Amino acid sequence: MNENELHHSPGCGEDAAPYVLGALTEEEHAAFLVHLRSCAICRDEVAALESVAAVLPAAVPQLSAPDELKHRVMATVRSEASLRDSTQPVPGRRASRARRPVWRGGLAGVGALAAVLIAVVLVVSGGSGGSTRVIRAQVTAPGAYVSVSLNGGHAQLELARMPQSPPNHVYEVWIKRAGAPQPTDALFTVSSTGSATVGVPGAISGVKQILVTAEPTGGSKVPTSTPVIVANLS
Amino acid sequence: MQLLYRGNAAAFEVIYDRHADAAFSLAYRMCAQRALAEDVVQEAFLSLWRSGARYDRNRGSVRTWTLGIVHNRAIDALRRRTVRERGIVDGEGIEERIPARERTELEFARKDEAREIRDALEQLPEEQSRVIELAYFGGLTHVQIASMLDIPVGTIKGRMRLGLAKMRMTLGDPAEVLQ
Repeated sequence: MNENELHHSPGCGEDAAPYVLGALTEEEHAAFLVHLRSCAICRDEVAALESVAAVLPAAVPQLSAPDELKHRVMATVRSEASLRDSTQPVPGRRASRARRPVWRGGLAGVGALAAVLIAVVLVVSGGSGGSTRVIRAQVTAPGAYVSVSLNGGHAQLELARMPQSPPNHVYEVWIKRAGAPQPTDALFTVSSTGSATVGVPGAISGVKQILVTAEPTGGSKVPTSTPVIVANLS
Repeated sequence: MQLLYRGNAAAFEVIYDRHADAAFSLAYRMCAQRALAEDVVQEAFLSLWRSGARYDRNRGSVRTWTLGIVHNRAIDALRRRTVRERGIVDGEGIEERIPARERTELEFARKDEAREIRDALEQLPEEQSRVIELAYFGGLTHVQIASMLDIPVGTIKGRMRLGLAKMRMTLGDPAEVLQ
């Protein structure tokens, strides 16, 4: 193949190279995708050039991915797979997943935590129904920072400098109205820098507390450890 | 991949084990920071896990698909940072900073392939290899590169195209270089 076979013509095809290298701006990228649908010349050009761009990663020195990275990724994957399985009825599955609750003393752990830490409401912005309220949560880990954003009846956790969940464990979000904390589908791990953004599933009307505990991979139906994060909403 | 479509964690782990090193190597080359590279790879693989059904074998190998996701995530991460915060690395000495595992036969084969591709890149005129590296590994747009080098945008695009076309001639069918 020689260069002329790439069908380069003035004004058409000139974006193919920056496109395959990921070097178009967002607007140009979107426009070029539209253009590609109707331009055979550019499609040919892209097909020819992207095969080269695709092998460029092999040109970099090959390193070993850190083992702890795999642990973090697989913890999340196994949790989500387990959650997916648990929503599909499989004979005998429920019994095998049952775990003995070890959150001794009910919410005594939360009480102890609350005695040590003080919740702070950070920001209440705006005055209309679209306002966002940000609450600083109580965290057991020294140096960690967790806030809860409340907007439109939904909540989102923002974590920073949070320690990794223990081996074979993930973090699980719980909501507490009256009575015992209820599990949510939100299972997560934090990044290597301890950050994470986690949406709390469902509406939070009537929710008094959002709690986070470390649970065995796959999550639990009742908390098996004392909370590491407590956010008082009321 | 069929098992991955069905949310099979064990199938995903096989894919992770096969491609994580290449993914981390690419992310580290682009981000120049270990923590950021790890975040990029973690985001990319979780995205792959959650969207496995989007893989189209007609568009290339699983490795190409995976590294494409890593590349896009790394570009996103880089473009969120200011130019001042960036540290574009040339890869020299990285292997000493992060020890590689014991080399297997497959890794030796891949090393040969990598050398072939690196040679093709290094054989380009410096003006062409530079814009390709700044774009692909630096995550810069052609507009940013033009500004950085004080060269017209059209010239940058032309150098990118010429460089890639020459590499294609050197490598033959690049897809065959990487089995």
